[in-house]
Order: sequence, then structure tokens, then C-alpha cells
Amino acid sequence: MPTLIKKGQGDDFAFADDAFTAVADDQDIPQGDVIISLARFQTDGDRLLSEGRQIGVRIEPAEEVEALAYDLPRLAVVALAFPKHRDGRAFSSATLLRKRLGFAGEVRAVGDVFLEQAGHMVRCGFDAFEAAPGVTPDQWAHVVHRHRHVYQRAVDARPPAFVEREE
Amino acid sequence: MYQYDAIDKDVLADRAAEFREQVDRRLKGEITEDQFKQLRLMNGLYLQLHAYMLRIAIPYGSLNSTQMRKLAEIGRTYDKGYGHFTTRTNLQFHWIKLKDAPEILDHLASVDMHAIQTSGNCIRNVTADPYAGATADELDDPRVWSEAIRQWSSLHPEFSFLPRKFKIAITASAKDRTAAKAHDIGLMIRRARDGQLGFEVIVGGGMGRTPFIGPTVREFLPANRLFSYLEAILRVYNRHGRRDNIYKARIKILVSALGREEFARQVEEEWAKIGPAGDLPDTEIARIRGAFAPKAFDVLVNRSEKYEAALATDPAFARFARNNLKPHKRAGYTIVEVSLKGIGDTPGDATSEQMEVVADLAERYGQDDIRVTHEQNLVLPHVRLDDAHTVYLALAKAGLGTPNINLITDIIACPGLDYCALANARAIPIAQDIAKRFADQDRAELIGELKIKISGCINACGHHHVGHVGILGVDKKGEEFYQLTLGGSGAEDASIGKILGPALPADKVTDAIDTLVEVYLRERHDGERFLDTFRRTGDAPFKEAVYADAH
Amino acid sequence: MRALTGNRLTDGEAVFWKAGAWVERFADAELFAAEDAAETAEGHAKAQQTIVVDPYLIDLVESEGLWAPVSYRERLRALGPTNHPMHGKQAEGGAAIEALRHAHGAARSTGRVNLIKRK
Repeated sequence: MPTLIKKGQGDDFAFADDAFTAVADDQDIPQGDVIISLARFQTDGDRLLSEGRQIGVRIEPAEEVEALAYDLPRLAVVALAFPKHRDGRAFSSATLLRKRLGFAGEVRAVGDVFLEQAGHMVRCGFDAFEAAPGVTPDQWAHVVHRHRHVYQRAVDARPPAFVEREE
Repeated sequence: MYQYDAIDKDVLADRAAEFREQVDRRLKGEITEDQFKQLRLMNGLYLQLHAYMLRIAIPYGSLNSTQMRKLAEIGRTYDKGYGHFTTRTNLQFHWIKLKDAPEILDHLASVDMHAIQTSGNCIRNVTADPYAGATADELDDPRVWSEAIRQWSSLHPEFSFLPRKFKIAITASAKDRTAAKAHDIGLMIRRARDGQLGFEVIVGGGMGRTPFIGPTVREFLPANRLFSYLEAILRVYNRHGRRDNIYKARIKILVSALGREEFARQVEEEWAKIGPAGDLPDTEIARIRGAFAPKAFDVLVNRSEKYEAALATDPAFARFARNNLKPHKRAGYTIVEVSLKGIGDTPGDATSEQMEVVADLAERYGQDDIRVTHEQNLVLPHVRLDDAHTVYLALAKAGLGTPNINLITDIIACPGLDYCALANARAIPIAQDIAKRFADQDRAELIGELKIKISGCINACGHHHVGHVGILGVDKKGEEFYQLTLGGSGAEDASIGKILGPALPADKVTDAIDTLVEVYLRERHDGERFLDTFRRTGDAPFKEAVYADAH
Repeated sequence: MRALTGNRLTDGEAVFWKAGAWVERFADAELFAAEDAAETAEGHAKAQQTIVVDPYLIDLVESEGLWAPVSYRERLRALGPTNHPMHGKQAEGGAAIEALRHAHGAARSTGRVNLIKRK
């Protein structure tokens, strides 16, 4: 069972209880809050939401977050999958969810969630991480805060170098 | 040149510290080789046949004497006293130990250098015109935009895990010295009729297994909209580029699959959504531009008596001047090309002593400015004609006076199977053998411009697809064989070479080159380069001559 | 006949398996005549993640009474680059190096066993 690390309000990181059950397409949907695939959400989403549950949708790299555009206000979590840590599509998906689609819920990294990519993930708007076993929130925070400066605008509020220079 | 401020220096220090931790975790077994490989590659560290190889970024091929001396020192301390300048205008050390790599990065950071993103599936070192700031025919200084891209692309949170590597070239001259059309993005600086500065944007060129000359996706992009447009291209690529097959993952395959129009449409659609929020403020471009402000050139007359006298009395210098000196935009100055293609030497290699000689000359006579070309040579871009002879004599003394720029012995070669874990065949010995065959300078000059480019495998680091004569090493039942391609060009008249015929064994390659040259000399019309003759005649006479024995 | 090789993690040096340890000279490498012995050694080697990177078996051929790697690539790893005869393992010279330099019968240039399976 992976451990969930969550980002707090002030760039702090802590273990968090995970209220959600990740449900594969061939599993029955249990009681409580669940994270389901996009396909399943498109067939069963309305019914599950009407039962008063919190719902999360898992987006695979090849799936477009735009498909959720109209449903985002109803979703608690969007889980972006890293089948391999080298597959960087989720960085674009997270960026679009936050910047373009204005999603304010939890953006969770799931799959091959690699500590060394923590900084990029946070900059792109991820705020929950199913990190590999053994990875601690302290390690996560350390990697995120390694770089004192950034060169680009991203989803986070960090001022890029060209803004810092004007101050 | 660009001066790093406190922020730029902090970034390098933090990156070096980060890598030190990553190496430490690997050595302790906390991360696997598979995980570590991605991390080390993003700092240019490869595991090759004999040792680790560290590829150090020389951003847009530009460095000063302090930096060059540091490279010499690293070569002497951590390698075997030499380094290899590459077709990506970087420098590779071939005998590096993993445990030394963090220390080397600290050394580099101390002179504002790094190995950031010299490998990995991220945005690589930008290629720019090595004559930037010195050539008369440029519309703007491409280094300004190159440095802005260097910063924007460094540790980019969204675009560091792309489907495949990503290379950008910028040129501002009618003469393309960057192979822009063979890059993932080629930016050609243009000026609109109303004087507005902008870029022609070429996307989807490339070499490798499936070579393409990139198509133009936008005729004119206003310069101040560059970064939002780059973001749009990269986002379309990051989302839709293929990830199922490493050989089909470059953006050229996406552009070719979608077609130029559809790709351009998708980029424009994304670009419209990003809007100017994705652009750099003009003030930042102006800040960077300030760092590249024109040098304080002396006001000189065009004719240097000292230079003319040297030409008249030193025939070796006259030959060097004919081939290695290029016109400068300022009267009384010249651009000096320093050939790293000594006859029989390894193309692109320079010893630590040679690096120091070039550094000293740059400092004393060249406004402290050194460039690396994608053809694996060095350039002193601002030398007074008065000093040209002195500079030549010092270069020649250090074995750097070979007067062969753009000639048949100015051969590009990748490290090949002598070093590289990916190679199928050696490239260096082939280059050495050809150079020795054409060592006669009179004959080489008679032949004129002829660009031979050699790759030891289909990844094409030796740019063979765009060689006037390209040579590709292949493995034929365990033996090294070489396939010839003719008619390629990486310049403004870019084209992909055409395979001449069956691959040749190693010991037949130089003879074949000789035969090609003989056919060219027989067939050429006045003023034609090898490439022009080939384009006029087609491959028939060449093919017939090279494969005559086989008939 | 086969040998087991890889690159040492700390410095990248090409190394060869010899009775549970790694040696730098090809001439000192353990030669495996039996398939299962070679594969057992490979299994042990692969477990040594902090010592050696990516170990693999290579095929050898006999050349004038000596065993040499079949592939050109592996011969270069055992010798060093041909453009710098004094760089790499070949620098120490001697009969074993000379024999390897002149060994004939090179075949496949990768010479890796189970290349496809490994990936």
C-alpha cells in the first residue's frame, strides 16, 4: 500500500490518511470515497456522485484532462498516472488542470512516483503524492526546496528569476 | 558575453549540490541504476565503453578564456589531458569517474559553467551562429535569444521529461552555420517590412534513423512572442509525441505524421490559449541584450599593413588566411577559425595545453571571446588584422594552425566505437585515414569546399545525413562497414544526402572518397563546389566510378 | 566459451568476473565453458547493484590458442580506443594485449548474449 504525502498550505509536507480507495475497472466499487478511471467515471460518475460520495478520477497519460472540464467542480481528486517516471505527460496535464481549467481540488501523482521529480511536480500543481514506500515527507520537502530560484513561471506562485531581478 | 548574476550562480550551485546527493544515493544503493540513469543523463553523464563520459554544456558555443582554462584544468586533473568538442558545440571528457563527477560540477559552477541538460529527454543546449556578434550579415545577435532560451529551458518543470531529446538552433544570417533545418526547432531571425524583429519557425527537422529537413510552421513570429510560442510547441509535443518507440519519439515524427498544416494548427490553437502570459517581459530581454552589447572595437582602417606584409612573406600564413580567416563586420578585424582537424588527429579533440593556448590568445588578442562550431572547430571571433599573424604563429606552434576550414580534411566525426556504447563502427580512424590521403594542401584547396561527416551509428551524431559526403558506420556480420551518402547539406541550402550504394568495408572507404573527388574534378563546371556538381549531375557518374570494380 | 563483464559503478572501468570478484584485465577473466555456470555467475553479478552496472555475458572465440571476445566492441572494451594506443587497458602492453589486438575471427559487433532478453 503506497503512502500518501500531501502538501500543506505553506510548502510543508506530511503523511496523510487516504480516504480514497483506488478502484480498478475490473473491481466492484466499494463503499466510501473512490478514485476511478475516466471511462468508469463517464458511465458511473453521476450515480456515484448522487450517493454523496467524494469522487476522484484517474487520468492516464494518453487521456486528455480537457475531457473532465465540465466535471471538475464535482471532483475531489484528479489522480494523474505515471506508468513510468520518465513519462512526462502528467506534468502537462497537471499544468492544464490548474492553469487552464482552474481545478482547485487535489491533484495527486500516482504510479511510478519518483522522489527526484518532486520539485517539478509541485511546480506543475500536484499537491498529493503516492510516493514509493520508504520515502518520507521530509525527503519530499528537501527535494522540493533544493533550488532557491526558478527561471520560469509555472503553476506555483514562485517568482521566476526575471521577476526576482526586478525586485 | 553574458555575465551570470547571483541568481544564475545560485542555480548552478544548487544543481551541483542536487547531483552530489543523487550520486551519493546511487553509490549507497538507495536508487537503482535505471532510476539513476535518467538523473545522471540530465547532467550529461553517460556510461561509455571504457569509463563515464561527461558532456559539459557550452551554451550556444560561447565561452571566455577563464572557462576554457577551467576545461583544460579539468581535462588534466580528471581526464587524460584532453577533451572532445562535439557537433552540439559541447565538450566531452571520455575518462571520467562517477565519484569525481560532483566535484567537477563544482569546478564548472565556479566559472559559470555546467552540464545541465546535455543529455536526457529535455531541451538541450541551444545551437547559435558561432560568428554571432562578429559577422556583418546578421539581423540581430542570436546569443541574446539563446541565453533567454537557456534560462527558460533550464529545469523546466513541465518539459524535462519529453518523449525524446529536443534541440533548438538560432541563426540570424543568410548563411546558416547552425544546421537550423536539422534541429527540432530552427529559429531564423527575420525582419518584417515594417522593421519588426521576429523569427521564421522551423519545426521537425532532425537526423537519426529518419532524417528530415524541417518545414516552416510559421513564417513570421514577432520576437516578443517567442516564449509563448515555444511553450505551445513543447506542450503539443509533450502531450502527443510518441512514447511507444524510441526511434519514433522525436518531434519530427509527430510533425510528419500530422502534416505541417495540422501540426501548425494545433500549435496555433495552443498558443492562442496561452497568450502573452507565456512570454518573457521585454525588460528581461533587454537585460540579457545588455550583456551582449557590442564590444568596444578600435576604429581601424580596412587595410592592415602588418597583415599584408605577413601575407607577402609567410606563405603558410597566406594559406591559413585564405582558408581560416573570415570577414568581420568591423574594419580592421577578422574572424579566426581554429581547426581542430589536424591531419591524422582525432576530429574535435583538443589537449589541455591547446585549450590554454586558445584561452591565452582570446584573452590577449580576441576580446576574451571563444566560440565552438557545430563542425567541431573553435573560433576567435574578434581579432585585429594587425594581430592575425601573431595569432597564427602561436596557433601553429600548438598544432592548431591547420589551414583547412571547410576543406576535405575538415571532417566531422563522432567518437564512434572507439568510445561510444551505442556505436556500430569506428568513425575516428576513418576520418584520420581520409585526412592523411588528402594531406596535400594544394590538392585540398583545388578540391575546395567539401564537407565529409562521419557517424558511427544511425543516431547520426556525426551529422552524416547532411554531409556533402556522409559516411555511416554499420555492422555487417561483425565487420565494420561504411555506407556513403552524397548530396547532403546542413547549411541554408539544407538537404538530406542520398545513399550511393552498398556499404563498403573499412579499407575501401578512403579509396572511394578519392574516386568521388576524381569524378567531381572531372565533371565540375567553373565555380562549382562538390555539392553543386553532384546536384547537377545526380549520383550516376559517382556511383558508376565507386562501384566500377563490382561490375 | 564465455566471459562475464560489466562496468564498475564508481569509475566506469570495464571489468570482468573472476570467481565472485571483478578484475580489470580481460586476460584474468574467468572463462565459462558451461552454460549453467555462466548464467549462475551472471545472476550473482546482477545482484551486485552497487558494484557493477549492467553485467552481461559475452561470447569468446579461440584465436591461436587464446580466447578473445567475438565482437569488435568487446575487444575495444578489453583494450581501449584505437585512436589513442596509450589510453585504457592496452597502455600496459604485454603479450596478452598484443594477442588480443591481433586476434582474428571477430564476428558480431555487439557480441552480447541474450541482448534482447536483457532489455
